[in-house]
Amino acid sequence: MLKPGKALKVSIYISEGAKHRGVPVYSGILDFLFYRGVSGATVLKGVAGFGADHHLHSANIVEISDQMPLKIEFIETAEKINEIMGKLEELAGTGMIDVQETTVAKPAQVSKPNKSVPPEHLRIEGKARMMRIFVGESDKWRDKPLHQALIEAMRANDIAGATVYRGILGYGAHGRMHRDRKLSLSHDASIMLSVVDSEEKIRAFLPLVEQMVEEGLVVLSDVDIIKYAYRGHEADSGGVQDNAEL
Amino acid sequence: MKSEFQGSLLRIHFGESDQWEGKPLHEAIVAKCRELGMAGVTVFRGIEGYGTSTRIRHAGLWSFSRDAPILVTIVDTEEQIRKLTPHLDAMVQEGLVVLSPVEVIRYSPSDNKAPQEKAR
Repeated sequence: MLKPGKALKVSIYISEGAKHRGVPVYSGILDFLFYRGVSGATVLKGVAGFGADHHLHSANIVEISDQMPLKIEFIETAEKINEIMGKLEELAGTGMIDVQETTVAKPAQVSKPNKSVPPEHLRIEGKARMMRIFVGESDKWRDKPLHQALIEAMRANDIAGATVYRGILGYGAHGRMHRDRKLSLSHDASIMLSVVDSEEKIRAFLPLVEQMVEEGLVVLSDVDIIKYAYRGHEADSGGVQDNAEL
Repeated sequence: MKSEFQGSLLRIHFGESDQWEGKPLHEAIVAKCRELGMAGVTVFRGIEGYGTSTRIRHAGLWSFSRDAPILVTIVDTEEQIRKLTPHLDAMVQEGLVVLSPVEVIRYSPSDNKAPQEKAR
């Protein structure tokens, strides 16, 4: 398994029609890499190119060329590449092999990581802060409903969770009356977002609230978290754990 | 424009069918808040719950006689909230009034760049 950090990237340039012992070179190389446990490889098809023979290969509509350039790429540790390079050179035949140093920022994973350790925000307990944000339903932030934008911003900031409530009646800063009318299309009900998280998280999020909420009220209060349960394994398809994957 | 102060949050729980002087109680409370010049009030309708009388309240989609739980939320200075509470003693015959201290941050559009859509 490839780990984040220094690694080598190998590119093999061959021609599509090239054969090695009766099988196309690219599939021979791919099989070889697979069986030697290389963590992954990609075959890329070129649309035009020329090689050592200085014949221009390009896709022609009239004749389908089998001389198109192919590139096989894979990334592995230096040790692994040393181990397989001899055989690879043989397989590549007349093709070119190029090795570059690279850095793996994030290795690919076989499946979504099984989070046995709950993300930080799922471990809040005891004293916490509750933040309520009062806005109007028709308030916008960059052409998006403000309450929706706020929820997205909270998710992006790993806030433990938020709930949006729509009021049926109310008035705010300007004394404008918000009323939920069953059949009206232009809703401007009062909206309240309610969030519970640690003091630091809430404090860190406030500047963003300030930027997004032009008019509204933010109310902070102390709360005790009695229970914050989550279903770690079922959470793959939604729920609070989703937050952690953003 | 941003202003911060220590305030109070008042929550009043009762049922949707509760009345005060022939009006739904939540409308009467909102009217009272206006009269007293409270900064703002929001009324929420719950989807299910039960209260002092332990009858289950349910907001059925097609039922005309609803008795869903109602929550009235008011945020203001403690002084303002104290003005309202005596009225509530009379108005809320059955229900719950909860008061908690809160930190309030109020955002209002500054005068020089009052957005056109906000001018309602």
